[in-house]
Amino acid sequence: MASDAEIPTPPAAGLRRTDFFAAIRANRRRTTLLCLGLILLGGLLGYVIGLAFEVFTANDPDVALQNGLRVQSTGGLLAGGFMIVFGTLWTLVALFLGDKIVLGLAGAKEVTADEEQRLHNVVEEMAIAAGLPKPRVYVIETPALNAFATGLKPEKAAIGVTRGLLQTLDRDELQGVIGHEMGHIANDDIVYMTAVGVIVGMVVLIADIGLRSMRFMSFGGRSRSSSSSSKGGGAAAIVMLVILLVFLVLAPIAAKLLQMAISREREYLADATGVKFTRNPLGLIGALRKIEGSDIRFEGAPKAIQHLFIANPFKKFGEKAGAMFATHPAVSQRIERLQNLG
Amino acid sequence: MVEILIIIGVVVLVGLFVAMAYNRLVAGKNQVENGWSQIDVQLKRRHDLIPNLVEVAKDYMDYEQETLQQVIAARQGAVTASKSGDRAGQIQAEGMLGAALGKFFALAEDYPDLKANENVASLMEELSGTENKIAFSRQFYNDSVLAQNTRVESFPSNIIANMFRFARHPYFEVPEEEKAPVKVDLR
Repeated sequence: MASDAEIPTPPAAGLRRTDFFAAIRANRRRTTLLCLGLILLGGLLGYVIGLAFEVFTANDPDVALQNGLRVQSTGGLLAGGFMIVFGTLWTLVALFLGDKIVLGLAGAKEVTADEEQRLHNVVEEMAIAAGLPKPRVYVIETPALNAFATGLKPEKAAIGVTRGLLQTLDRDELQGVIGHEMGHIANDDIVYMTAVGVIVGMVVLIADIGLRSMRFMSFGGRSRSSSSSSKGGGAAAIVMLVILLVFLVLAPIAAKLLQMAISREREYLADATGVKFTRNPLGLIGALRKIEGSDIRFEGAPKAIQHLFIANPFKKFGEKAGAMFATHPAVSQRIERLQNLG
Repeated sequence: MVEILIIIGVVVLVGLFVAMAYNRLVAGKNQVENGWSQIDVQLKRRHDLIPNLVEVAKDYMDYEQETLQQVIAARQGAVTASKSGDRAGQIQAEGMLGAALGKFFALAEDYPDLKANENVASLMEELSGTENKIAFSRQFYNDSVLAQNTRVESFPSNIIANMFRFARHPYFEVPEEEKAPVKVDLR
């Protein structure tokens, strides 16, 4: 049973997990839980809105509110149920059609091994290092420097790079970038971020609708409750109003912050995973420097999928301003973490 | 009554643990095997590229017959080892082939005519690409071996491993002579 081979020193201390299939399974589990949580959040939001509707239009707002707090408000349950169904359907549609939409939006064209031999070799090497099937390879004809990965399963994955990237980076740096994208595929980030994006988008949308309706409704509601004039009517309506406002204003902000924090954490993780593949942090560091230093704007980059790119194609995010709402961490931070891996 | 329930509960928990540990060991072993077959694909590609290269090189490299013979012999040894199923032996044979090829590449630098030959240039490029792929697949294999060996050796999964006879796997080691440029810049 024992082998006589000496154990060589393990690869870069701190990079222990190499079993990507187990890691992908674990990520899928986390993704499912997170999505369920976010769908429930959406459902809760719907419940609150439906309840508010009832309270504002009820003959006896007090009773309506009491029912609501005991989870017996029919309006609330209907609205909440609707949100949950709607959210689930939207997520499923985005997951199944997302691929084609993304590739179309980014203006990417598939390339063969004959057309882009070095790129194909680099992608194949990273796929071998990850123990995953080789993804399809795409090129976006723009002088901007960027790259992305897409695809729900490793078998259906695709990696795209811009022409500018191909022309500016040397082989090691290109491999660093492809390693990072391969890392996203290995960590199942695409499913994760798509699902999160859909649900957060839904929460923001419904909250927006809710706020607009509130403005419209508050006139009708107030006059109705003052005419039916039961003693507690006014108070219940106000309490409901406050609860509603808090949810409608805070929920979307909280959801957005959460989404951005998750996105940044995944970018760091993809950096680390990429280095695990290449065993060469300098490649990715060099590439990040060149990408950061490039002033060339990515014309026509679709805002909807900005989080799928290796660097935010829209602004240069400094370390301070907007850091909480940034999809990607500051490049200086990423380089610092990478240097600690070396 | 309560005691019986507790005992049943413990048995169920232990059973679950054993099942989980066993499954992880199986998955780890399969990943090692997958890693090995990936290397195998690249190694065979290397075996297939060599005969053509040597044929053409013979005409140009009159004075290097010894090196060419070494390459052919090493290749033969590697092919035989790959058929034998002895993995440790195969690793050693491939190490020797890598060393012989390294010597050949170094010598080829002195023969510009050889490198100017179109067939040779394309074959050597393919070989370089294959060397990169061997390096990465070896890396993935060694990573998988590390993970699996750790599972087989650590407590408490080593109990399960012993029970079901999960073995440690050999690392794909690089002999000293082959440690010359392993990753080659193709352009």
